[in-house]
Amino acid sequence: MKAKKGKVSVLTGNYTTAYAARLCRPEVIAAYPITPQSEVAEQLSSFVADGSLDAEIVEVEGENSAMNVCRAASLAGARVFTATSSYGLVYMYDTLLETAGFRAPVVMANVNRETPGIHAVSSGQQDMISTRDSGWIQIIVENNQEIIDQIIMSYRLAEDYDIQLPIMVNYDGYYLSYLSEAVEIPEQSDVDAFLAPLKKQPQRPRLIPGASTGCGTHGMEMGYVEARYKHWSALERAKQKVDDIDKEFGEYFGRSYGGQIEEYKTADAEIVILASGSAAGSVKTVIDAKRAEGIKVGLVKQRLFRPYPEERLIQALKGKKAVGVIDRSLCFGWKYGPMCMELKAIAPDIGSMPILSYIDGLANLDITIPHISRVVDEVNAAAKGKAYQDVTWIPME
Amino acid sequence: MVEATKKRNKVFDYFCTDEQFSGGVAWCAGCPLELTARFVPKVLGKNMVFVGTPGCAAPVLHGQNIGAWHKLSYLSCVMTGVASSATGLSRYFRRTGQDATVVCFTGDGCATDIGFQTLSGAAERNEHIIYLAYDNEGYMNTGNQRSSATQKGAATTTTPVGKVGRGKPTASKNMQMVMLMHKPKYMATATLSHLEDFAKKLQKAKEKSKEGFVYLHVFSPCPVGWRIDSNMTIEVCRTAVRTNYFPLWEAEDGQPRFTLEVANPKPVTEFTKLMRKFSHLKEDGLAELQKQVDERYALLKTLVNAGAQK
Ligand SMILES: Cc1ncc(C[n+]2csc(CCOP(=O)(O)OP(=O)(O)O)c2C)c(N)n1
Ligand code: SF4
Ligand SMILES: [Mg+2]
Repeated sequence: MKAKKGKVSVLTGNYTTAYAARLCRPEVIAAYPITPQSEVAEQLSSFVADGSLDAEIVEVEGENSAMNVCRAASLAGARVFTATSSYGLVYMYDTLLETAGFRAPVVMANVNRETPGIHAVSSGQQDMISTRDSGWIQIIVENNQEIIDQIIMSYRLAEDYDIQLPIMVNYDGYYLSYLSEAVEIPEQSDVDAFLAPLKKQPQRPRLIPGASTGCGTHGMEMGYVEARYKHWSALERAKQKVDDIDKEFGEYFGRSYGGQIEEYKTADAEIVILASGSAAGSVKTVIDAKRAEGIKVGLVKQRLFRPYPEERLIQALKGKKAVGVIDRSLCFGWKYGPMCMELKAIAPDIGSMPILSYIDGLANLDITIPHISRVVDEVNAAAKGKAYQDVTWIPME
Repeated sequence: MVEATKKRNKVFDYFCTDEQFSGGVAWCAGCPLELTARFVPKVLGKNMVFVGTPGCAAPVLHGQNIGAWHKLSYLSCVMTGVASSATGLSRYFRRTGQDATVVCFTGDGCATDIGFQTLSGAAERNEHIIYLAYDNEGYMNTGNQRSSATQKGAATTTTPVGKVGRGKPTASKNMQMVMLMHKPKYMATATLSHLEDFAKKLQKAKEKSKEGFVYLHVFSPCPVGWRIDSNMTIEVCRTAVRTNYFPLWEAEDGQPRFTLEVANPKPVTEFTKLMRKFSHLKEDGLAELQKQVDERYALLKTLVNAGAQK
């Protein structure tokens, strides 16, 4: 069975997100506006107002409340959706941890933006990075089509009986939130069909009035450890599930993204660039140009940030001669960018090779074609034994 | 038979449902919190869902000791997320036609301070929930620190009395008035010494929560933090009412009315002398407290008489 061809519309990333959420038929929605996410909240309210979406929508007074509404409704059995960004994401931090700890399958779009510190209304992945250890599944997408497809896939993953975890779908603020692109919107009946397997699973535990069910018992000693172990194990299981769902999605809708990571021309590559989000598109352009010059370079686009796609990365990078990692955020107190730092943690398994860390694309500074071109050249030189710089802040050069 | 039912003290009529708590729950001896927590579901019925937060109620409601517990459904929350979590539950229960009374059960610290944003938001949106704040005038679970519900002059562990310190330097937030100005569907004050009054208010709260937001402010002295003898808590509740320190009233759609008007209120010193948290107060401090009691009562009375916010 194959899905019908969907209608193609030109949509911004934010509108795409709202359409994606509507297709998944959430029952409870709560969101609080913040640049560059606001249109998501507005558009969902319009859908409810025009009757095209039958959902309870709560216009909350802050992001902490948005997440609590979603967490609680989800624990009562509802399908829920929310969206936020930056200040909003960190404002809900306490509940973010609780939502994951309670295993509430909330699906949230996070429109990446720099975090408080220096007031920056601009793109960057620092928000997502700063919530890394919240116990959520975190996925980063590259373009508007991937936003819609990944949100649909996220419900399959979050509400999977074996997983039951919240998912944060990240896309670049400004670059995607306000970018209009042609997007194929799947037919409602096809999305229903794709999500239908969830209905055949055992009902997940839920809070039922009058039935002596509880959520959030004080975790003491072994009870706590066991709950943590199960949470941790579910994250481990999620890795394979991401691949499986992506494959199934591809077979049905004709589009797939590689699951945990997307590999572009890595098979015969000697050197690899690791990047994520919208910048991955520019990296592909540079790779094509550099290959024409005879440099055997490939791209690993990291889609899954948490859980860490360790095995897939080892497979993709083992035996390569050098890797350059482009980070759009910082790991304060550690010199490499966060994604580079994590790659270093699996360095023994990918083999000894130069790993070069690049910081670029902070605060709306473009990761340009010349920037990426320079990264490829330096990584290529390092692969050939030339001395290299550990960490390079490209905009500061 | 009819006679017999009529003669029975009316409070018994409200004890319609089973006891929802086991014996041996972990509250301090003499704490009115236990009696309040037991009493509330007896009136509201077993379809009530406790939505709670860290505080003295939490270890029991959320099962720190699951040997002695309750039978109700519950959801535990962070202190900043009680009214919003209740919103999520109630929206979904209503949408799916599940009969439930969603009750936030938090301390004054959560209600008046860290959880106030979400409480105010839920009231403004007229969510179909009951928010019950049990007021023990401080953060008791963490060891009797001041909250914004702590009375002026009261000694707490963060407003201690010493060579310089004279207890809490500012007056308590008049939370009842703050909530009245939200014009909830229904709100009321209640305390254990006036059990029938309390029960009626709970019944009305349940009914009114089908129309929207309900706020209940329950006076709940803390024997440990206030330094009250554990056999005296109900007497402290009664004296708080009789001195107008804690007047009993209710309001539908923002229109307050007294449910009990004390004919000859006693001086507030009758109340303060029952505990040691005010024992350092001299005449001027006590006079100031009396003045506050009188002023707040006068304001309330004006609103009652004026048919305020009609
Ligand atoms: C965000 C957060 N800050 C601080 C605490 C620590 N804490 C636990 S209970 C409590 C006091 C609660 O006071 P109140 O709501 O009045 O309830 P009571 O303890 O008096 O019953 C505090 C501050 C917490 N649990 N969460
Ligand atoms: S500390 Fe006070 S309020 Fe808390 S359980 Fe003990 S007596 Fe009750
Ligand atoms: Mg308190």
